[in-house]
Amino acid sequence: MANEVEDTLKRIQSHKGVVGIIVVNSEGIPIKTTLDNTTTVQYAGLISSLSDKARSVVRDLDPSNDLTFLRIRSKKHEIMVAPDKEFILIVIQNPTD
Amino acid sequence: MSPSINKKVSAAKVLKKPYARNPAEASETSDFDDWKKSKQLLKPKDQLELPEAELKEILARVLVTTNPQKPDGLVEFSYSEGCFIEVPLPSNLVIAYRLKGSQIHIDSEDATRQLIEMGLDPDEYRAQAREGMEEEIIEEVEPEQAEVKEPEAAEGEKVDEEEEEEEAPPQPVSDVEEEEQGDEDDIEIEKPVSSGIPKGRKKKLTNQFNFCERASLTYNLPVRSQEIQTIPPPRANFSGLVLQWVIYDAYQKDFDAKELEKELERERKEKEKAVFSLRPKLSKKKPGKAQISEAVKLRLAESWKVLERMINQNTFYDIAKDYRYWEDPADEFREEEGTLLPLWKFHYDKVRKYTVTDIEWNPYYYDLFAVSFGSLDFAKPTKDGAVCIYTLKNPSFPDYICMTHSGAMSISTHPTFPYMMAVGLVDGGVLVFNIQQSCTKYAYKSNSVTNKHRGIVWQVKWGPDLPDGELNFFSVAADGRINNWVLMQNELAVTTVYTLYLPMDPVMGPDGTEMRMRGAACCVAFHPENSLIYLVGTEYGNIYECCTAYSSKYIFEFRAHHMPVYQIDFNRYNSNIFMSCSADWRIKIWEHKRHEPLFVFDVGASVCDIQWAPYSSTVFAAVTTTGKVFVFDLNVNKYKSICEQAVVSKRRNKLTRMAFNYKLPIILVGDDKGCVTSLKLSPNLRIMCKPPKKQQHLDQFTLQCMKLDKLLSLVREPETLTPPPDTAGLED
Repeated sequence: MANEVEDTLKRIQSHKGVVGIIVVNSEGIPIKTTLDNTTTVQYAGLISSLSDKARSVVRDLDPSNDLTFLRIRSKKHEIMVAPDKEFILIVIQNPTD
Repeated sequence: MSPSINKKVSAAKVLKKPYARNPAEASETSDFDDWKKSKQLLKPKDQLELPEAELKEILARVLVTTNPQKPDGLVEFSYSEGCFIEVPLPSNLVIAYRLKGSQIHIDSEDATRQLIEMGLDPDEYRAQAREGMEEEIIEEVEPEQAEVKEPEAAEGEKVDEEEEEEEAPPQPVSDVEEEEQGDEDDIEIEKPVSSGIPKGRKKKLTNQFNFCERASLTYNLPVRSQEIQTIPPPRANFSGLVLQWVIYDAYQKDFDAKELEKELERERKEKEKAVFSLRPKLSKKKPGKAQISEAVKLRLAESWKVLERMINQNTFYDIAKDYRYWEDPADEFREEEGTLLPLWKFHYDKVRKYTVTDIEWNPYYYDLFAVSFGSLDFAKPTKDGAVCIYTLKNPSFPDYICMTHSGAMSISTHPTFPYMMAVGLVDGGVLVFNIQQSCTKYAYKSNSVTNKHRGIVWQVKWGPDLPDGELNFFSVAADGRINNWVLMQNELAVTTVYTLYLPMDPVMGPDGTEMRMRGAACCVAFHPENSLIYLVGTEYGNIYECCTAYSSKYIFEFRAHHMPVYQIDFNRYNSNIFMSCSADWRIKIWEHKRHEPLFVFDVGASVCDIQWAPYSSTVFAAVTTTGKVFVFDLNVNKYKSICEQAVVSKRRNKLTRMAFNYKLPIILVGDDKGCVTSLKLSPNLRIMCKPPKKQQHLDQFTLQCMKLDKLLSLVREPETLTPPPDTAGLED
């Protein structure tokens, strides 16, 4: 299983347009990153609070519902977020590349 | 007397004598002085500082006979009279010291009584005593008595004692004397007594009123206070935002806990009921740490998978848009012609050199398909093979990869259990994978020596489940056998359903033996309605209709082709219609029990694969070794294809397999370079039936059947051709 995850990670990294990958643990601390330190910390902090808020929105509308993924499309990038209780996966892609 | 006192006897003894109080006091004061000297004077802080004159002033002290402390005019309330009455004044007597005697006078009544009790004659005793010129006093000797200084006797005895005290003075005299002597010679005193009393020892007379109260004061346990300050309990500020879903979660948790409790209760009851049942215990353990982390890992893998798909979606955004929305507008102006729009290409580096040997859409997920990789060029066989399961959502990498030890030639996915996959191999073996459990390890494998085909397994097909629910599949191979494999508990059980022989006489072997030549089966197709009936295509071009119930004979023989039959496919709408393709460049459409084909198409190249379209009864597609895809619609054109498109380059690549998606207007074609291309059918290639004006209620299925029947009636030749009567000769 661990191997499979590692392989997927490597593949994603090699995809064209992928700018960076960040794995954040449940405490909001980035544990794996391909970006530089400051950017990573900034992304981790902002995205984790945003995903918390987004989850809150989804769950407040229907408590039996839950947030599974979050895509943020900006002019330059697309930030894809997979929020979970234990971790948050963040992938930043430049789709126009 | 006085010299005896000056002798320093113990203070206790001296104290016994009331009149000897003063000298004793003197000795006490000297003791006191000694003690005082050794101690320093402690002055209270608030002591008045007196001047010298005042200190020297002599304060006269006068003793008076009246007691100044005596209360005057005491009254007490009398309940009987209902008023206060005067209490008589207490006397002026103050008792400073009182001692109860331990001796009684010899002439007293008590002494008399005691003597009588002792069995002595009192008078005689008294006379004896006086004779000896000594006042004999019967004394009760109680050693403690001497030492104990009685503080004050009980009040009841006061009067008696006062009386006694009056008598007391003469007594101590003898006492002291006695003691002085007694220390030296006790026996001497007793001598006269013993001589006077024949019986022997003199009994001691006890004073019946004399009792001694002894008390001792134990040390009071000193009270100590000890204090300890505990560490204050930790404090924390708690704050939270309560939202609807937080409340919902809390309730849900509580509900789950209750459900669990109920479940446990029920289980326990069941256990009690069926103590002797042999059912294995279903122990529901709470998820441990390892299980939780396992679940997290699974979720993590799942999330990565979805993210990869998202990235792919972004990368292949235009393809995704084409797939969804592009309908070739040129079709409107083209009559009877359509195009194929290439969409995603599915590569996998490990199988780049391999040939796509089979493609099959997953019956459960319409976007999932399995591809087997092997080699069709038997001069250059591959070392191993692979089965990859791709999804349209992730064209860059297969979702599952199952490596096989030998080239994979055919696959089949079970229709009801879409995770069960049978694979036929080049070496004649078959494998069954359970994708849910493991991709790397097969679930079943045919015995590599006995239970295997002796040739390439060209096709595998799942059969309908056995009555016992066991899964089973059929395989056809180049050794001419059609085998049925049943998935037992942990092995594959095999039965040969049919063996193909060449339609020729037995060949003479050595030593006069005869041998029937085996035919080689290339493909198989099961009748969609009658699962017992199946068609087998052979290497020499014949197609046999067989039945799984009879293994000795075939039912029908089609002399179909002159070269190996590569594929047979039943029509989706009319199960009497099927078609076959062959390396002899031809595609033929057959009807059940009819020796001659209904349609024959020549496409100018070896046809590797054909398939009927699932959406129309008259549309089918074929791929050729020249890299072309042909799409036919018999309803549109009975003579030639409505689409002929080169998908891969003619020189380098050959197309080997194709498959229609059963839901989307997409076909997949596989080539011999391990690449699978998805193509979108343009609108002209998927023309649906329009219901006629008078029969608007008919559904598409009926319309499709009607369309095919109408078409067939045009091409069917009449059953028997009766030549028209030749009337010319008759006239003559």
